[in-house]
Amino acid sequence: MNTIIEIANKFFQPIIDLGAAPMMFILISILAILMGVKVGKAIQGGLMLGIALTGIGAVIDMLTGSFAPALQDFVLSTGIELNITDVGWAPLATITWGSAYTLFFLLVLVLVNLVLLGLNKTDTLDVDIFNFWHLSITGLLVLYYSDNLLLATALIILLGVLKFINADLMKPTFNDLLDMPDANPTTTTHMNFLLNPLIMLFDTIIDKLFPSLDKYDFDAAKLNEKVGFWGSKFAIGAYLGAFVGILGGQPVRDIFSLAFIGAASLELFSIVGTWFIAAMEPISQGITDFMSKRMEGRTFNIGIDWPFLAARPEMWAVANILAPIMLLLALILPGNNILPLGGIIAIGLTPALLVVSRGKMIRMIIIGVFMIPVFLWSGTAIAPFATNVANSVGAMPSGLAENALITHSTLEGPVEKFIAILVGQAGEGFNLGPVLMALAALVVYLGLFAWYAKKMKERNAVYAAEKTQE
Amino acid sequence: MIKILAACGAGINSSHQIKTAIEEEMKKRGYDVAVDAVVVKDINQEMMERYDIFTPISKIKFSFDVDIPMVEAGPILYRIPAMANPVFDEIEKYVKEIQ
Repeated sequence: MNTIIEIANKFFQPIIDLGAAPMMFILISILAILMGVKVGKAIQGGLMLGIALTGIGAVIDMLTGSFAPALQDFVLSTGIELNITDVGWAPLATITWGSAYTLFFLLVLVLVNLVLLGLNKTDTLDVDIFNFWHLSITGLLVLYYSDNLLLATALIILLGVLKFINADLMKPTFNDLLDMPDANPTTTTHMNFLLNPLIMLFDTIIDKLFPSLDKYDFDAAKLNEKVGFWGSKFAIGAYLGAFVGILGGQPVRDIFSLAFIGAASLELFSIVGTWFIAAMEPISQGITDFMSKRMEGRTFNIGIDWPFLAARPEMWAVANILAPIMLLLALILPGNNILPLGGIIAIGLTPALLVVSRGKMIRMIIIGVFMIPVFLWSGTAIAPFATNVANSVGAMPSGLAENALITHSTLEGPVEKFIAILVGQAGEGFNLGPVLMALAALVVYLGLFAWYAKKMKERNAVYAAEKTQE
Repeated sequence: MIKILAACGAGINSSHQIKTAIEEEMKKRGYDVAVDAVVVKDINQEMMERYDIFTPISKIKFSFDVDIPMVEAGPILYRIPAMANPVFDEIEKYVKEIQ
């Protein structure tokens, strides 16, 4: 075993030493070729990934370079400890895909998916390769705390299986929400829906305490139209830049500069984010071909990214309403160190609210308010890790203060981040205390999921009964 | 040049996959099209009027009437050619009509 690791290290170390962008260029290209992608296409994808990594590093540099010092002043003048820069999803996605472990975890999960389909334990074929980074981050967190690859892989498999089961459980709800015929195979394994059990808990409490709440619901589409561009990325970037500048007591010139840098960074993050999705295109097709070839003759649902829920305006309306509430909560919530910026439009939260409450706006807003602290605490907890990974892939500006951290305030799977941290701490030395903590957390987590699964099966039985009546 | 508007719920991933797939396939079939990818909530009547064909990820209702042909493009995302081809065929039909 040791010799294998030594040989692997001898082979891989020079590639790792090249740095993240060249390393991922080489690994992604090779993996795509192995999956049967044409050489030209494979190299195109690999190059795009290296370019996206480099590009995202430049934008993080611009954003944190000007926001981190202003946030320090903000802390000094207000006394509110919000020193973590919220860079949103794109940098986190990029640095996660900048780690070779992500590829390893991905291959493991592709096999798990094939095995579960083969054993009829799931009906979902996951082709949303890009979003695999959400799950990979939990594995990387375990590695950050414990360096224990076996434990990290075990957690990835456990959570991956839950994602497949959840995709099956949600399928009838998608058909209902989007008026899809049964023949439509669309579902999703997206990590944001692993928050469903916790949302379901609050939803059930509302059922019991305030059953008549829903009669106050209002039209989401009309609200979205009124908000218009005022709720767009660049507008929000500008407000928050000005907000930090004013409360940080900066001169007028710097307030304007922060506003424009905030707005430009948020726009650039999503542009570079799309490069990055383009980079994963050839390998996503390769893996899908590989899987569907092995599943011929079996009918299955297909897991894609969540935005097919676009037809429901509630998720955007609620995200708009929650944004100012999140800013307020961030200022007063004990244990939070994030000033929301890149992640303030909580699309890592609202699709799950939509699925559990089935579009009841008031419920989505109220439960959303209770979920925000979970995200802020989770985002705070992973900031040292995220900053460390960003450093190791060369995506952090040099010359920043030591306590300058980055994170994503509404990163999908906040509960799973805590589980990963606890598992990682348990694996660090297998001491009794941390091990018991991790086990207890897992028992509660899985218990809640089992309860949620039962509730969803009841919901699905009602759907099935309605169908037969028709 | 036929202008196509692709749209999804986030404007980040799905709509860009639809954009790339339509551009590649139409080029293969010998048509010159340009596709823009946007988030559904940013679409207004003014924007829609600048395009010839609308290819959203799933059925979407707006407060205004959509006067251009609409093709549901979600099946492109399954990455299985047999499922994506009917979508491309329908788009091709409209492209031919417009030309």
